[in-house]
Amino acid sequence: MQLPAPIRDLYERWLARRLPPARQIVLDRRRIFILPTGYGFFYLLVAALLFIGGINYENNLILALSFLLASLFMVAILHTFRNLFALGMRNGDSESGFAGEEGALELVLFAQRRDHHCVWFRWRGQDGQQISIRRGEEESLWLNLPLTERGRVAAPRLKVESRFPLGLLRTWSYVSLDHYCLAWPRPEESLDCPADGGKENQQAFSSGQPGNDEFQGLRSYTPGDSLRRVDWKGYARGRGLNIKQFEEPVGGRLWLRWDRLQGLGEEQRLSILCYWVLQLDQQRQPYGLELPGLTLAPDTGDVHRWRLLDALASYPDY
Amino acid sequence: MARIYQVPSHTRLWLALAVVLCSIPQLVKGPLWQAGLLVLVILIRWLVDQQRLTLPGRIVRTLLLIGAVGLTFYSFGRLYGPEAGVALLVSLFALKYLEVVQQRDAYVVIVLGYFVCATALLFSQTPGMFLYVVLCMTVLTTCLVGINHSDTRASGLLHGKRAMVMTLQAIPLMVVLFLLVPRVAPLWNMQVGEDKARTGMSDSMSPGQISELSESAELAFRVDFQGDIPPRPQRYWRGLTLSHYDGRTWQQAVPQGQAESEYLYRRGNQKPVWYQQLESRRAAEQQRYRYQIIAEPTQRRWLFSLAVPFPLDEGMALAKDMRLVADQPVSQRFAYRVESVPAATDAISLDGQERQLMLSLPQESGRKARGLAQQWQLESHSAREIAQRALRHFREQPFHYTLRPPRLTADPVDDFLFRTRRGFCEHYASSFTFLMRAAGVPARVVVGYQGGEQNQLGTHLLVRQYDAHAWSEIWLEGQGWTRVDPTGAVAPERIELGLREALENSEDGRDVLDDLGLRRFSDGGLFAKVSQWVDYVDFRWQTWVLGYDSAFQSAFLEDLLGVVSPVRIAIALIVAVAMLMGLYALFLLWRTGNARLTLMEREYWRLHQRASERGRPLAVGLTPMQLSDAISEQWPQAAVAAENWAKYYQKLHYDPVSAPDKRQRRHLRSLRNRLYKLLD
Repeated sequence: MQLPAPIRDLYERWLARRLPPARQIVLDRRRIFILPTGYGFFYLLVAALLFIGGINYENNLILALSFLLASLFMVAILHTFRNLFALGMRNGDSESGFAGEEGALELVLFAQRRDHHCVWFRWRGQDGQQISIRRGEEESLWLNLPLTERGRVAAPRLKVESRFPLGLLRTWSYVSLDHYCLAWPRPEESLDCPADGGKENQQAFSSGQPGNDEFQGLRSYTPGDSLRRVDWKGYARGRGLNIKQFEEPVGGRLWLRWDRLQGLGEEQRLSILCYWVLQLDQQRQPYGLELPGLTLAPDTGDVHRWRLLDALASYPDY
Repeated sequence: MARIYQVPSHTRLWLALAVVLCSIPQLVKGPLWQAGLLVLVILIRWLVDQQRLTLPGRIVRTLLLIGAVGLTFYSFGRLYGPEAGVALLVSLFALKYLEVVQQRDAYVVIVLGYFVCATALLFSQTPGMFLYVVLCMTVLTTCLVGINHSDTRASGLLHGKRAMVMTLQAIPLMVVLFLLVPRVAPLWNMQVGEDKARTGMSDSMSPGQISELSESAELAFRVDFQGDIPPRPQRYWRGLTLSHYDGRTWQQAVPQGQAESEYLYRRGNQKPVWYQQLESRRAAEQQRYRYQIIAEPTQRRWLFSLAVPFPLDEGMALAKDMRLVADQPVSQRFAYRVESVPAATDAISLDGQERQLMLSLPQESGRKARGLAQQWQLESHSAREIAQRALRHFREQPFHYTLRPPRLTADPVDDFLFRTRRGFCEHYASSFTFLMRAAGVPARVVVGYQGGEQNQLGTHLLVRQYDAHAWSEIWLEGQGWTRVDPTGAVAPERIELGLREALENSEDGRDVLDDLGLRRFSDGGLFAKVSQWVDYVDFRWQTWVLGYDSAFQSAFLEDLLGVVSPVRIAIALIVAVAMLMGLYALFLLWRTGNARLTLMEREYWRLHQRASERGRPLAVGLTPMQLSDAISEQWPQAAVAAENWAKYYQKLHYDPVSAPDKRQRRHLRSLRNRLYKLLD
């Protein structure tokens, strides 16, 4: 059901005020809403029918039964509410992606006081996920996030919902986590490499074959090193994970420069830079990036690539 | 489309259990095919769960439905009415269970379960049945928990525990609602058991009838006295007065030409003259009994009470012959409150038409008896003297009290008085009344119950069918209608001790008692105690739960709230519910599960707290050694003791092999106490 736009706006603003985003949220009284489900209304109708039956047959026990149903409903309000109450959530990891694809955000759920059973997490327009969290434990939950535009994609408002234990009531909360996913620019192919340095700009990769690099030695692997430079043969011989180091690469150090793409739109510039970051990474060519207000020194490897992509994604507020 | 069973496996057993438990009350009293149907359904369901069978398709289910409807019609002759309707509902319940596929179907089964539970209460309202229904409700709630718990590894037992906790929490709320929600008058009239046979005494009396009643130990009614209980010889529960005799049968009669409105006084109507006299007499008299009677259903309109009854509740009327008449036949247990003023009998007059009726006798019967009576009349000066002569006659002539009297032939009055002389209350009351009328004293027969057994646990009396009795009332100038019990002249123990004990003492009584199976009631010991307890619980259940109607409720609320007004009731209801819910909320929401410290943790925190109080506040995350260092820094003299404590603490707390035992903990405590003394 869609509400008229002005009312929706008001509602959204009210929600935003009532439930401000935060990095960590523990669901409290103010954040939790509760209403009967369709079945809950049906259940109350049954209780009312039994009440009328008890009145008409002048049967006090049927009346008592209808009161028992009503009382169970009231107790269920507390129990349903309790299932969300004091459930904690905080930002976890995030998985970036290219604009137009999907990223993912990790939500870490923690239960300090009690078990939380069968809680649904849902973003608008997506299938929910259900999870139970036991007391004193943490669970992580990955939620996919469509990345429509380059930049920081903030986590949309998340709906946390539960009908446990009786299904008579639905309790829910909207959670705005101050969490975002980076959408890297969508790579746009371009023949001109917007780079300075190296021996020859355009043909940098034509001669940049791995075999041409001058092997310098080995150093031990540290997380983040490109897997392509691992000395796999040595690893197979039991020498441990080592990284092959090369001397000054054939292609020399390349600087991808924002300024070299003058005359193009910002997004297009970023897309082209992104394309070349990926290209150069494939060539295992040390490359740096120069953006307005940010300079990243040339290097290679996965971590370096990610750093550059993230910088491109978060342009201009790094 | 593939049919996927969405009810989680840990709930299937509960659902089956719920279906069986809810159906049992109906299966026990219903036709046998219903049990067969349920067994069949459970079996199919089980095979389906074992994946040896696919769920029956629409055709099979339709056939089963047609079969169930047909068998219901075959068994009951119709499809409506309480019995047939409930049988049909229970069959549908089982069939619905058969086709449970989705969560929604399970919800429908559970709701049907609620209705099946309610119908069980339609036919039986014992405390046991209610407990059973609450059990069924708990199992149904367990099913609700189960179908809402989609974790596949969830434990079915935990669902049961959760449902039990919720039900236990709901019960106090239910009691509050039960007590405070106003009772509304029925919206339309529904009666169960209209077509049931009438029980209890009939509205006429001819020899043989009351002896049949005496053979039953069934409950007639119970009486709950507020204050004094009259002694046993005074406990004559009047039911009907019989004024017309045709030579064989005594029947009710109203004087000729009297309208009902003159004869019956209903509250709120115009007061007839006799009632006004009664009322002024009532106001002047001190001795009165207040009590509540809970009558078992009789399907008749007359009610039982002590003379002279004044009804305190609506729904009944007072007749001029000092008895109560209900507005509707008593088809369910019926509770009514009465105030009786025994001395008020003299306020009722006897006018011409009525006097004639009370003296009328059939032309043909009792010639010898009439002669005897007329002789007494000539020799006596007053009606009282005549009655005394008659009683002396019964006492001195060889009359016997027996429950097995010989048959009376052509003329029952003469036959009994001069030939057989063996009989029970009916015979004596009938012949005494006959003699009185023949001697010119207005008289009538009264039937009702005499006595009643007092429950040792409560203030209430139990009046059983074998307490049924008949006696006479004669009209004495200045005294009004006066009770005379000729049976008492023959068998005083019948009145003093009650029928059961009278029979115990008499020669043929024991055999009768054995025949009737009454003896077990007189056996002392455990059985008697248990049965008294059972009766007490049942009685309290009757008065407090089943009898909690709008009159009882307003009396209760008056005690509770002072003045009863809708606003006050609403406030009381809201406050009570809010208080309970608040209590639960506190208990459920702010209770942290593992806030309890272990013994060793407590040991640590005690020292931590004491040191913080005496000196500078200490940081929270200190290890025992750091705590000891912090202490020695502030109190150098305590350094050694603190270190001893910390070392021993560490030794105990981090011992991977065994937990500290009692002796070790005591030593640690003494180390800590020694340390305390140094912290100044």
